[in-house]
Amino acid sequence: MVDVAVLLSVGRHPVSGRARRAPTDARALELALSLPPGRRTALHAGSPDSPALRDYLGMGLAELTVLPMAEGRDPTDALVARLRAAAPAIVLTGNRAEGGEDSGTLPYSLAHALGWAIVPDVVALTLNEDGSAELVQALARGQRRALRVAVPFVATIHPAAPAPRPSAFGPARRGRITVEPVDAPVDTALAACAVRPWRDRPKRLTVGAPGGGSGGALDRLRAATEAKAGQGRLLVGPTPDEAARAIYDCLQEQGMLPR
Amino acid sequence: MTARRRDPRAERATRVVPSDGPRLRLALTALDSAAPVSVRPRRDPRARRADATVQTAPRLRLDWTGKTLAAPVTVPLAASGRGVRAAVEPVLRVIDAPACLVFAVLDRADGALSALDRQVMAAARLLADALDGAVVALAPDGPEDWGALGADRVLPLPAAWSHEHAPESRTAAIHAAIARLSPVHALFPESQDGGDVARRVAAMAGERLFAGVESLSAQRVTRRAGGGARELSCAPPRLMSIAADAVAPLGPVRHEARLLDPVTAEVPTPTLGPTRRLAVDPDGVGLNEADFILSAGNGVTDWAAFAELGRALGATRAGSRVVCDAGHLPRDRQVGASGTVVSARGYLAFGIAGAPQHLQGIGGVGHVIAINTDLHAAMIKRADLAIIADAQAVMPALIRLMRERTHG
Ligand SMILES: Cc1cc2nc3c(=O)[nH]c(=O)nc-3n(C[C@H](O)[C@H](O)[C@H](O)COP(=O)(O)OP(=O)(O)OC[C@H]3O[C@@H](n4cnc5c(N)ncnc54)[C@H](O)[C@@H]3O)c2cc1C
Ligand SMILES: Nc1ncnc2c1ncn2[C@@H]1O[C@H](COP(=O)(O)O)[C@@H](O)[C@H]1O
Repeated sequence: MVDVAVLLSVGRHPVSGRARRAPTDARALELALSLPPGRRTALHAGSPDSPALRDYLGMGLAELTVLPMAEGRDPTDALVARLRAAAPAIVLTGNRAEGGEDSGTLPYSLAHALGWAIVPDVVALTLNEDGSAELVQALARGQRRALRVAVPFVATIHPAAPAPRPSAFGPARRGRITVEPVDAPVDTALAACAVRPWRDRPKRLTVGAPGGGSGGALDRLRAATEAKAGQGRLLVGPTPDEAARAIYDCLQEQGMLPR
Repeated sequence: MTARRRDPRAERATRVVPSDGPRLRLALTALDSAAPVSVRPRRDPRARRADATVQTAPRLRLDWTGKTLAAPVTVPLAASGRGVRAAVEPVLRVIDAPACLVFAVLDRADGALSALDRQVMAAARLLADALDGAVVALAPDGPEDWGALGADRVLPLPAAWSHEHAPESRTAAIHAAIARLSPVHALFPESQDGGDVARRVAAMAGERLFAGVESLSAQRVTRRAGGGARELSCAPPRLMSIAADAVAPLGPVRHEARLLDPVTAEVPTPTLGPTRRLAVDPDGVGLNEADFILSAGNGVTDWAAFAELGRALGATRAGSRVVCDAGHLPRDRQVGASGTVVSARGYLAFGIAGAPQHLQGIGGVGHVIAINTDLHAAMIKRADLAIIADAQAVMPALIRLMRERTHG
């Protein structure tokens, strides 16, 4: 038994632009639903009318609390106050929102304001008897790292966590959305930023650069036009053992072999 | 007036180039017998052809790529001399009384600076130069040439932090350094651990982090937001994290790299326990995440040995489309244009021809080793180490060698 709070924000489909479940938030909810049943608080700060909220409820969530606020408001203080009142043992969030500022900083501000530990990029969570939890963090290149944290803590969920279950129509209709009015200040830092549609820029080329700067025009032209060819060695018709040794040495040089 | 008569024989004699080759060589213009002949070495097509000959029986095989040498000796190709400019030693720049400070907080993970760390240094340099400021590099201590990286000052952090996961102590130390030196900007790499520390520092300082800067100038920084659909921009704020490949690394520079006193931060009682790396099943890792891929093509018939080799090497198994079509590997293990585009550091390919659709999938791979019976396969050209041999013979030999090395 453990009390869990999940923070759910509304995502944006990258092609159609329609509101949807934010990918990592849905994974956070999936993880919360798979923990032994305790009190479950699901919080959203924003518009209570967003159709994406029903998609979260359709995953089997009975109730979702919405702290209503207009776009461009800072949800941090309202969420901190609500979390203090709910006093969960674990707060699960996505590691990056989709459709807002998307900076992944909100969970850190919450954890700091609550004075709790924060563990980023979690993919698995198991509870111990003594009120601590074993967390598995995803690292780059498919590596994993395990650590133990005492409750209460905030964990942000990585995209490599188990995929969320699909949303079903029945539970989505039955689920309750509770609105708890709050005051939220205008997010001044965000308001100070200029907003434009994103436009892809050409990737910077750093090719054949002695000392890291860009190489000559010839180098760049070559890199842009030629298929990449290995600067290689060639062994013709070695014995299998010679071949194996050459491969082994080459792999070891690259640091690819298990030590 | 009569023109002087020409003596063709005498003119020809002055153009004869002395050489001991089989043919007479003539220079295009008359030779000054004292001055040496033109400097460009002459190409000898016969010798080139002899160098390119791989075998003469049962049929003639030539390899014009210049990689081949008489089997099975191997010599690395010399780097081509073109494009290499004489390195000019940059002059030392000393900034004694900077108008302000710019922090570059570096990961230096596993004891080496990453490309992103260098880009963060370049970004810090750009901002500092615009403000007549100095760059302070904060990184786990180590034998690095900080001056050549563009650092005016160096503030060493405990060297152990490059290996161990200590986000809370790192945050406390960086926060203390910011409080002591009050820099105008502090830049972090938007890497996994660097981005984590950046957000912790921002939360502790109660300031906003401008996360994942995509472009940067002294007047304006931009980042991507709104689910990738919007661009936010503003004047450079105090705390920023720099996305990978957003800033060009510095050219050759030389700065002073004066050592500052290390910060003394009261160490918080860590709430995060010690971490340990978990052993991961390489075949459970998604291909796009995999670091080391063992790949099979139509030239592989011994699937038991292939699976065994995958286990012995600890490599993620994959294959070409032909292999996945035949059902030897699941579809999600297909590398290529219609499969997965991989970005592994190592790619070991057995019996893959290297069709364009396959090569597209391995464009971002660091190091390719190819084993194929066909010298002219496109994969051989792409490989960094190419071996002309039978895959079925090499796989058991490599398994045996791995066993010897791990148990012996
Ligand atoms: C629209 C489209 C999309 C495609 N997408 C992909 C894709 O995503 N990925 C992909 O891989 N392919 C793709 N293909 C297929 C691609 O064109 C090639 O057909 C395929 O990659 C060939 O696979 P292969 O190299 O394993 O087989 P082959 O072409 O049959 O080559 C086998 C190689 O093994 C060598 N060999 C034979 N016996 C041995 C031995 N005993 N030891 C060592 N070597 C040996 C041979 O010399 C040969 O070079 C696509 C094709 C199309 C039309
Ligand atoms: N308005 C919101 N309501 C509820 N949760 C939120 C909200 N904004 C952000 N979050 C949570 O905080 C995580 C990181 O958000 P961000 O810092 O905006 O990238 C998200 O994945 C959500 O779990």
